[in-house]
Amino acid sequence: MELIKDGKRLDGRGFNELRDIKIEVGVLNRAIGSAYVEWGRNKVMAAVYGPREMHPKFLRDPTKAVLRCIYNMAPFSVEDRKRPGPDRRSVEISKISSEALSHVVMLERYPNSAIDVYVEILQADAGTRCVGLTAASVALADAGIPMKDMVASCASGKVNGEIVLDLMKEEDNYGDCDLPLAVIPRRKEVVLLQMDGKLTQDEFKKAYEVAIDGSMQVYEIQKNALLKSVNEVKIGE
Amino acid sequence: MLHIKDRDLVIPGQLIGENVRHDMNCFREGDNVYSSIHGMVRADENMVKVIPSTGEYIPKEGDLIIGVVAEVMMSWWLVDINSPYMCSMRGEEMTREPLNNDLNKYFKTGDTISAKVSRVDEVNSCQLSRPWKLEDGLTINVNPKRIPRVVGRKKSMLNIIKEKTGSKIVVGQNGWIWIKGNKTELAIEKIKKVEREAQTQGLTDRITEMLEKRNR
Amino acid sequence: MNIEAYLRKDYITNLIKEGKRLDNRKLDEYRKIEIQKGYVGEKASGSAFVKLGDTKVLAGISMNVGTPYPDSPASGIMTVNTEFRPMASPHFETGPPGEKAVELARVVDRGIRESGSIDTGKLFIEDGKVWIVFIDIHMIDDGGNLMDAAGIAAISALLDTKLPKYEDNQVIRGEFVGKLPMTGTPVPCTSVKVGDTMLSDPATDEEYAMDSRLTVTTTTADMMNAMQKGGKGSFTDENVMQAVDLSFKHGKEIRKLVEK
Repeated sequence: MELIKDGKRLDGRGFNELRDIKIEVGVLNRAIGSAYVEWGRNKVMAAVYGPREMHPKFLRDPTKAVLRCIYNMAPFSVEDRKRPGPDRRSVEISKISSEALSHVVMLERYPNSAIDVYVEILQADAGTRCVGLTAASVALADAGIPMKDMVASCASGKVNGEIVLDLMKEEDNYGDCDLPLAVIPRRKEVVLLQMDGKLTQDEFKKAYEVAIDGSMQVYEIQKNALLKSVNEVKIGE
Repeated sequence: MLHIKDRDLVIPGQLIGENVRHDMNCFREGDNVYSSIHGMVRADENMVKVIPSTGEYIPKEGDLIIGVVAEVMMSWWLVDINSPYMCSMRGEEMTREPLNNDLNKYFKTGDTISAKVSRVDEVNSCQLSRPWKLEDGLTINVNPKRIPRVVGRKKSMLNIIKEKTGSKIVVGQNGWIWIKGNKTELAIEKIKKVEREAQTQGLTDRITEMLEKRNR
Repeated sequence: MNIEAYLRKDYITNLIKEGKRLDNRKLDEYRKIEIQKGYVGEKASGSAFVKLGDTKVLAGISMNVGTPYPDSPASGIMTVNTEFRPMASPHFETGPPGEKAVELARVVDRGIRESGSIDTGKLFIEDGKVWIVFIDIHMIDDGGNLMDAAGIAAISALLDTKLPKYEDNQVIRGEFVGKLPMTGTPVPCTSVKVGDTMLSDPATDEEYAMDSRLTVTTTTADMMNAMQKGGKGSFTDENVMQAVDLSFKHGKEIRKLVEK
């Protein structure tokens, strides 16, 4: 399938260009912290509860809090209805997202407790794990939970032989490779890295750099959204 | 050297300055001092700290809190204090011989009390002392990190609300506030307003003005 | 809380900082790999028992006939399933697969699927009927690095697999028409970061001490097909490139053993 024409992608983007990203902070009332992210045609919501009492009790860690991130796709988020409930894919994404977030959250402050992060994919259009992780990190910050850094995430991939940033659905389906990645921006280190498809070692190096650059751009968007959120408090009756 | 001004907003991991003395919600790596939370920087002379706008209550020694008795044990009470951590309170707080007395005499499950946090251990389990039963009235929830605003400098805000609404109010640092009086609704309305606008300036004046207008 | 990990983590971390390992291996050295193809060959269409040091894993392949996916009606199907049997470790429990088992299965699956190593186009039987390749991996003894052991077992078992005879709408068990059509040998290789040091093929104690893990599946000298980062630590660019290099290097060696 022809995904690149005259140096432009199907939606008119250049190779290193992100889709439009909009982040809203504090969108839910009950949750301690929350975020809503629109990223291209992805719509994702994240909520944080905790630190709170850990149940079941045997999962308690007397040295630190346990962070549990649950990634869930709504049945209507894709054209062919997804069967509700956890499947193998969502279990895997939940695991690696929890690990990535655990790296930045100061868990040792809250022994024996649980910090629960819920990521709901309301509409999916490729790259949902990156969108989810980006939203989760903003929701954690909004919850006032101490962190050493944010987590910003973005994928790169190979499409028609070219390395491009932030795959859209068609590119994900018919491209040659997908490389989702997440960084902690301050030190530019990687906390999530996956790849599937076909890449040579040189292509990998390029795709890796492109994804890191993309994630750093995502970080700026996260930062602006968070700084704006507090200013928006209205004074009034 | 500071990279940030007083009252600037920061996000977790953001650089605040180099070689500055820092207080709560900051951490240091080498010479650099970073914010560990999303909140507002307060800086004077050479000390910085970051004020959070939200978060759960973590018990601290000396805090006055409001709790609800969750369970009555043989010689102690288990108290829910709106925190990831439950609190215990020894029977000795009320009687010399807790084992020979039925503790239900003093506090039953479901009783609302105010008490001091007397001890917090390394895993944040804590003990309460000097309990006081709060009878009737109403207990409301406020974001624990905004409690300092509800109380105000030298209790100014709290005193104004108490006085102008003629209510008895006990503020727990854990985010629970107990109110009793004839104008409870008015008190709640104003407390909720303070909570919402906690990060704005001139709040005490605005609240005073509003309450005076209402009383006129 | 894992008490064994708690007891040994600091010691192992310090040892590795000095460039040493408990079993005297070099940092980038694999443990001895033994592959026994056809280990349970009487019933299963293909199988392989793999020892990676103390780690023991058995993979079995079952060939069944089924309906193809609607979006690829002319291709066979493959699925990978792993079982962390409770016999393999005091930390494994019975019940549905946990997140570690799911992750491992999906990483092995991606390596095989994305490399196109099973020639699924040749697994077409007739309209609405294709071969399904079930890859089931049993963890028998967890001595660390189950990921690589499982990947090696899966690909070895696939190379051992025979295609059963299919006649009159029936699979004739015990009779075969040839080998399962294979075109490549994907091999996952795992490096872990302990403190600031990268090392290959972690043993159990080293896994207790590790901060993060990177598995890279290579299929030829210059083709990688899957990657997975795990663990709560982070990697620098240098760490990542080193892990990729190591995986290409070890992948080449291990591929020779698997294809033997």
